[in-house]
Amino acid sequence: MRRYFQSVRWSMMLWYGLILLVLIAGLCLLAFRLAANDKTDQIDREIRGFQGTFFRALFASKPVEKKNEKKSDMDEIRERLRNPGDVSAFPPELHALFSGEGGGCYLAFWDADGSPLFVSANAPEGLTPPVQATDGPPRYVEKKNFREHHRKGSDGISSIIGRDISAEQGDLVRFGLLLALGGGALWLLGLSGGWWLAGRALKPIDDIGLTATRIAAGNLDQRIEIANTDNELGRLGRVLNETFDRLSDAIERQKRFTGDASHELRTPVTIILSETQRALKREREPEQYREIIGTCRAAAERMRALVESLLILAKQDLPTVGAAHVPCDLAEITAGVADLLQPMADEHATKIERELSPALLQGDPHSLAMVVQNLLSNALVHPPAGGIVRVRTLLRSEGSLLEVSDSGPGIPAEHLPHLFDRFYRADSARGPANGHTGLGLAIARSVVESHGGKIEVESSPAGGTLFRVVFPAAS
Amino acid sequence: MRLLVIEDDPLLRHSLTEGLREEDYAVDAAEDGPEGLAKASDAGYDAIILDGMLPGFDGWELLLRLRREKATPVLMLTARDAIPDRIRGLDAGADDYLTKPFDFDELLARLRALIRRSSGAGSNLIEIGEITVDTGGRTISRNHEVVSLTAREYRLVEYLAYHRGSVVSRTELYEHLFDENEDTLSNLLDVHVSNVRKKLGASFISTRRGHGYCIE
Repeated sequence: MRRYFQSVRWSMMLWYGLILLVLIAGLCLLAFRLAANDKTDQIDREIRGFQGTFFRALFASKPVEKKNEKKSDMDEIRERLRNPGDVSAFPPELHALFSGEGGGCYLAFWDADGSPLFVSANAPEGLTPPVQATDGPPRYVEKKNFREHHRKGSDGISSIIGRDISAEQGDLVRFGLLLALGGGALWLLGLSGGWWLAGRALKPIDDIGLTATRIAAGNLDQRIEIANTDNELGRLGRVLNETFDRLSDAIERQKRFTGDASHELRTPVTIILSETQRALKREREPEQYREIIGTCRAAAERMRALVESLLILAKQDLPTVGAAHVPCDLAEITAGVADLLQPMADEHATKIERELSPALLQGDPHSLAMVVQNLLSNALVHPPAGGIVRVRTLLRSEGSLLEVSDSGPGIPAEHLPHLFDRFYRADSARGPANGHTGLGLAIARSVVESHGGKIEVESSPAGGTLFRVVFPAAS
Repeated sequence: MRLLVIEDDPLLRHSLTEGLREEDYAVDAAEDGPEGLAKASDAGYDAIILDGMLPGFDGWELLLRLRREKATPVLMLTARDAIPDRIRGLDAGADDYLTKPFDFDELLARLRALIRRSSGAGSNLIEIGEITVDTGGRTISRNHEVVSLTAREYRLVEYLAYHRGSVVSRTELYEHLFDENEDTLSNLLDVHVSNVRKKLGASFISTRRGHGYCIE
């Protein structure tokens, strides 16, 4: 049960039901109140009208005698009340007053001393003169199923004119019941409508939740089905779908990267394992042991290079970690690296042409040197021996520029978009044999991007590959 | 028994060929797809150890091409251990699969199983009269007593035992006992055969003049 009240739908329904209940109950009460007041007013008017009819009949039944000076009007009234005269002279609607039949109005008059002047035969038993201050305003009093008009005049005559209102009361009770039933039905209708609406409004959220659950369970291809609406939920769904896309891409990339890394590490591990197993199988000559250990060492070196590259990449991936950026000159860094790689160039009979003009930027000289070294050694190793590698640094309006180009056969167009991907090798024949881990360009891009720059490659089948790196100029 | 190792990583290729040679296999090596396919098509190998990722064309492609002409048992060796890769390899015609890093002894056992199966034998023990050839322990016993043979002599008996009942030509024997680097005289075979006859009985290997040798 608690679970139900924690659901949005249920809590929405709870509040909605409460508000709807208060509204409907208020409206019903108001209607009831108005109807009751209307009824009461009507009864009161009737009572007052009855009183008038009675007095008119009273005075009509016996013509007024010549005015007796001694007798005041009130005494005349008293007299007439005590002795109303011939019943038949009264209009038929007043006959009940004398016959004692039920229904209709009744009335009673008392003198100042409390003695009854006239009590109609149909008056309820035990009717007593009204208790109230003399000259007070007339009052309407309701007791049980009677409504009475109480009056105590300054002349001492007090009166009660009343009426049995049980029929009206019955009507009101029936009306009240009808209102309650109608209101209840309306409330239930409103509730079910609200339930349906809430369900309809929350359905997309449920879908989103369900999809997210499936994604969390590892089903990364799941997406939220969005109806063609541009409402809040449609937009939320789209935003979430885009987020899921990016997340699954990232996870996929990470997976591939981890897979590639373990794949790359497996071969050297295999070499070390199989060589050591071989070595341990039997006693050998020192020369053989040396050879086996040499092979193991070469495999271990390869693993070290790979692990180092992975570490560099991992460091570059962290947003804030890394050496502090200091002002440095790309030309100086490039010259240093070119000097370092000169023996490699000689080995490949490749000439390094330098066009180094100062190109200042803010950066980490060590990482930048790594970029230059990766680009330059790629240009030296991959193209056939005997070519020319040109390195250029210069300052342009868009920033500091580094270009490394070779005169090799070029890279086929289908490889270009993937060239900076981790572990991507344009030609698998190059393999790990020449000490390349397949991470050099990925590291270069990572470093360049962490410096706010960008790296591009241009290559044509006609020959020549150009790597261009642009760093934002030092401010 | 002669094996072909097709592996592009020079260190691993070296390690595998050396390891297998020490187990008295005749071993050839190839470093890329085209070279591997050429060697596999040309010579009669008892088994091929094939790496998945190869320059030129990869191991799966090589298998597909090789299977058009030869049914040599192939053990695929790869660092990719995803199940779809294995299925792809087996469907392309590989007979077994081993992922890197592997245990060298397991590789040897799998090779033995492959060779055994391809010759139709079910067990490591081949019994020929009073002679028992244990291909697992690489020993030959006569009346339950182990007879000491050189590695080459053992391989000679093993090969003939696997092809028991059929005549094996001198060329075929030569091809399966010596790798491409060996440039021995073919009469070395006769020397080995006569040595085996001395140790296991003159009638163990019969000579079909002009055709070859046979174990009945």
